[in-house]
Amino acid sequence: MTGFISFLENRVMPVAGRIAEQKHLQAIRDGIILTMPLLIIGSLFLIIGFIPIPGYSDFMSGIFGDKWLTKLLYPVNATFDIMALIVGFGVAYRLAEKYKVDPLSAGAISVASFLLATPYTTMFTPEGASTAVEVGGVIPVALMGSKGLFVAMILALLSTEIYRKIIQKKIVITMPDGVPPAVARSFVALIPAAVVILVVWLLRILIENTSFQSIHNIVSDLLVGPLNALGSSMFGAIIAVLLVQLLWSLGLHGAAIVGGVMDPIWLSLMDQNRAVFQADPTGELPNVITKQFFDLWIYAGGSGATLALVVLMILRARSEQMKNIGRLSIGPGLFNINEPVTFGMPIVMNPLLIIPFIIAPIALVIVSYLAMELGWVARPSGVAVPWTTPPIISGYLATGGKISGSVLQLVNFVISLLIYYPFFRLWDKQKLAEERAETKSAETSVPL
Amino acid sequence: MNILLCCNAGMSTSLLVQKMEQAAKDKGLNARIWAVSADEVKRHIDQADVLLLGPQVRYKLSEMKKEGEARGIPVDVISTTDYGTLNGKNVLEFALRLKK
Repeated sequence: MTGFISFLENRVMPVAGRIAEQKHLQAIRDGIILTMPLLIIGSLFLIIGFIPIPGYSDFMSGIFGDKWLTKLLYPVNATFDIMALIVGFGVAYRLAEKYKVDPLSAGAISVASFLLATPYTTMFTPEGASTAVEVGGVIPVALMGSKGLFVAMILALLSTEIYRKIIQKKIVITMPDGVPPAVARSFVALIPAAVVILVVWLLRILIENTSFQSIHNIVSDLLVGPLNALGSSMFGAIIAVLLVQLLWSLGLHGAAIVGGVMDPIWLSLMDQNRAVFQADPTGELPNVITKQFFDLWIYAGGSGATLALVVLMILRARSEQMKNIGRLSIGPGLFNINEPVTFGMPIVMNPLLIIPFIIAPIALVIVSYLAMELGWVARPSGVAVPWTTPPIISGYLATGGKISGSVLQLVNFVISLLIYYPFFRLWDKQKLAEERAETKSAETSVPL
Repeated sequence: MNILLCCNAGMSTSLLVQKMEQAAKDKGLNARIWAVSADEVKRHIDQADVLLLGPQVRYKLSEMKKEGEARGIPVDVISTTDYGTLNGKNVLEFALRLKK
């Protein structure tokens, strides 16, 4: 076991550290965070739109008219459907910040280059017609949302790299003293922006002459397809969870490190479900593995599914130490924050407790995946529930109001409790023995 | 005395903030203690006298140290034991020692 820990320390940790510190991955992760508040607000409207009470829809149209749902979902369209635009801006902003060049200009240039890569046409079927016609002069909403996410990210990185290289080589128009700084800054951005636009423009013209027709098609065929296939499989989910748990076993924030790579994939899988759910709340959702799958069904109480462990500590601990940490951890634990357990118990670097800490979430992935795949439990509907939402409630909300989502959380809680129990017993016993030995030696050391 | 804490989302460090504030109060020390997520540090570090990292983001230490050095602010990682037991008193003393 000590060999295993030193292997983790010497081999896994440096690699993880390098990945976590990689500038572009950091920029992607931090840029994506910009969309989270929007997605959560959009989700609120989504939840209100599809409350699963019989007669609810008729009741609402009785008060607000037939078009109530369309109108209610305006904010959903303005949040989920522009995800790629926001991410394009955010990633470029964060990357420019790391290079210490003007992030605002980099963000603006990135958005422009993303739109430049996007054809301003969409297919539209007029009423009464059977074939779709191409309509020009529109920005296709379909490509501004999760479908355009990867193009936006790639162009954000590309445009910002070009932008900062030119700035750092000082190939810029400098204004004489006395010109207001804001004006001077926009002139500084002029040459790099021109180069970026030129590059993306040429790229688009070039690709238009191939069978791919657009940058969006290339990215979706060559990158998004394979990535989604990997990210949406149970195997991929197990590997991801295994990595998160191994990193946490060393005391590193595994979810943040793995999420830096996987979040864009899980986010777009989530949005595929959202699009289907919004069109037809009873329709079959395409994906089981989404961002919520991990946050809400696997990690109740925090990474490692430690809520069950905390409950055990409160109800069954005999040592003072376990009782105390249990009491300290239950409040944050209900909101899926578990550092007091991982560092306090500790689980980190603890050869005994690392075992259930790794096994429990992997078991939950298998159980949850199968339950959803077989249709026993509703799949995540794409509603973005914040990861701090307590279990039972979160499972109900994230499935678009299905009790089965909560039931699976309960079942998962029991499974993790059973897996943690024997290891918890052993550790508690050991702590109790230590405590007794201490009081004994304290007693004997008192001079009579 | 301004003490800035950071972790991944600023959640678990904010638990520690409460305990540290209590410890500062007990000491009669006037301190501003607050927690932010790692990507917000740059916007807050100028107001801080010392920056402490949660142990789970210690892979960011070298990056954060650079930010700190540029401003003459000490940066270090909180001990895992004090972090796990939310020992506000120890972490406060650690911050005071660093500042010296």
